[in-house]
Amino acid sequence: MLRNLKLQSVMPIIVLVVLVVFFTFLNPNFFSLRNFARIAIAASPFLMVTIGVTFIIIMGSIDLSMEGTVSLTAIAFCFCFLFFGGTLGSGGWIAIPVALLAGAIYGALNGFIHAKLLIPSFMSSLAMGFVGIGAAVLLTGGGIVRIDDDIFRSLLTYRIQGFPLMVYVAILFLIFGIIIQKFTVLGRNLYAIGGAEDLAAASGVPVLRTRVLAFSLAGFYYSLAGVLQVAKLGQAESVTGANLMFLSITAAVVGGVALWGAIGGVFNALIGVLIVAVINNGMVVIGLPDYLQDGVLGVLVIAAVILSTNRSNIRFVK
Amino acid sequence: MSTFIKDFIEREKLSRRNFLFASAAGVSSAALVGPLGINPALAGGHGGWSMAWSYRDRASAYWNSVVSGGEAYVESLGMASSDMVNLINEGSSEKSLADIKAFLAKNGGKGAIACDANDSPNARPVAEAVRAAGGYISTIWNKTDDLHPWDIGDNYVAHLSWSGRKPSADAARLLFDEMGGKGGVVHIGGIPANIPAIERLDGLKTALKDYPDVELLDVQSADWDTTKAAEVMSSLMTRYGDEIKGVHCANDNMAYGVIEALKAEGISDMPITAFDGNPEAVDLVMKGDLLATVFTNPHWGGGIALALTHQAAIGAFKPSDEPNAHREFYGPSILVTPKDAAEFKAMYLDSTPKYDWDDRWGLSAGQIQYK
Repeated sequence: MLRNLKLQSVMPIIVLVVLVVFFTFLNPNFFSLRNFARIAIAASPFLMVTIGVTFIIIMGSIDLSMEGTVSLTAIAFCFCFLFFGGTLGSGGWIAIPVALLAGAIYGALNGFIHAKLLIPSFMSSLAMGFVGIGAAVLLTGGGIVRIDDDIFRSLLTYRIQGFPLMVYVAILFLIFGIIIQKFTVLGRNLYAIGGAEDLAAASGVPVLRTRVLAFSLAGFYYSLAGVLQVAKLGQAESVTGANLMFLSITAAVVGGVALWGAIGGVFNALIGVLIVAVINNGMVVIGLPDYLQDGVLGVLVIAAVILSTNRSNIRFVK
Repeated sequence: MSTFIKDFIEREKLSRRNFLFASAAGVSSAALVGPLGINPALAGGHGGWSMAWSYRDRASAYWNSVVSGGEAYVESLGMASSDMVNLINEGSSEKSLADIKAFLAKNGGKGAIACDANDSPNARPVAEAVRAAGGYISTIWNKTDDLHPWDIGDNYVAHLSWSGRKPSADAARLLFDEMGGKGGVVHIGGIPANIPAIERLDGLKTALKDYPDVELLDVQSADWDTTKAAEVMSSLMTRYGDEIKGVHCANDNMAYGVIEALKAEGISDMPITAFDGNPEAVDLVMKGDLLATVFTNPHWGGGIALALTHQAAIGAFKPSDEPNAHREFYGPSILVTPKDAAEFKAMYLDSTPKYDWDDRWGLSAGQIQYK
């Protein structure tokens, strides 16, 4: 039993290694520093979103507001950046804390609506996501906001050891996420609520405050993704966050974060993101026709979940 | 940005208020004055006909441009742009049909409507509802291949669409010439089942026949999306590396992603073509980051669709006297290249050309062909 559990917890890493070997076997170009840098660029904003939603899933809830939050904060970042001169040097850096604060506040609002008004997180966060997209459309009028500052864009263009700066920023906040999960009261309370909320409440865990803080933390991570998205693409629009909902929840689950709560953590989110990013990159690198890719992704996701989660003690799924 | 929101809210309030006032007036006057043949609610529309544009939403530059064409036509008649009613279907075919029926009922059938029916099968019920009420309609984009204006009658004035094949082939030829007539090219396509995605890829394949030394290395779909296009392009760099000498994209948004993916690799001189002629893309053509994009003049399309309908309604011309090429035709497309981008921007984006709406088919690119 114990051995099984151990095997289960390293299974996502084994899946990742098997995928890398598989794609390398079919096209040796896959296993190169340049390609790993490409995967890392694609994965950086995506990792931030997945870490954000992982905190919520640990708590046994779900957050579907990421697409709206990412779009809204990316646009807020761009407008603010342009307002302060359009370059990092001229004061555009102010846009970074502003966007992150906006994300945290939006997340807190999301959590407050869910926890205080007692609306299931599925519904309240989905609704807040729509509100975010709607606000993004209203702000941009359906257009695109571009950032042309070379210093800010060095997040993408300047490389250390073959990897762009934005990858190191993502790693920094990955470590920050692990610290919150392992070494803070908030991190421990998330697991307590995810394991058994009534017991946690009876033991004095401030459930409402923890929930609002968790959603706020998630919003903070979504806004990080928004800023990195702008660094990556040089622009923001109302669809900047598109597709991130499905991808991030898939990545979390594939990495071993269980939707029923209290299982997995930030490190699992990383492995899940890498698995999904490797699959997406590898399918093109080995030359899989595009009309097969969605189907293959779906099959691989199911296979990865079967291999990487312990389902033996589950009596029912919903 | 704040002006936009203000304008937007003002516009929505106006059109909604007009709609409510007119509905109220329409109901009461139909009961009281209607039998006498005088309906004050109809006096607003030129020649007694009220005009409306039915479309998806305000969230894209494309539809805003279409609507601006409709408003330009209404203004050319000496009316306010708010005299054109906006029927926004929000991507629902049911709402599209219901809005049009309500608009016709309110105006006693005397409605001239331009419309994108949201999806192809919806065009028939919409056209039949308009005929039944005695109104007039023209459609753009969505219509099934077996539905033709001449089968419905004069009430279905015209259908306007844009073909991706020829302009996409023109862009591809420009791309191949820039590549020196040889080397590998990749195509970044839209959602594979979308008609424009199919046509734009077809255009590329047509052009390839004239360039035996150009090889189509790969076709990958990026779902019209900037982020996905960036990821697909960087993966293609792993697969083909230096073999890629040019990139053919099915729309502007994906080309933005391709440019950024190449920028991350330190590549800035790859020739890339796009499609749609969005302002950002035209700027990129002027800067030399993009080789070409294709502009389809949505402003003219939006204006002429409403103009044809209204002119048929007031009897300025009789649709059934016109050849089929005047009832189902392609809109214009302009290839925007570095040579003419500045001129193009000044003419079409920084200002809006004044069109003679009586020149009904002047910019038509020929009768619609079915495969």
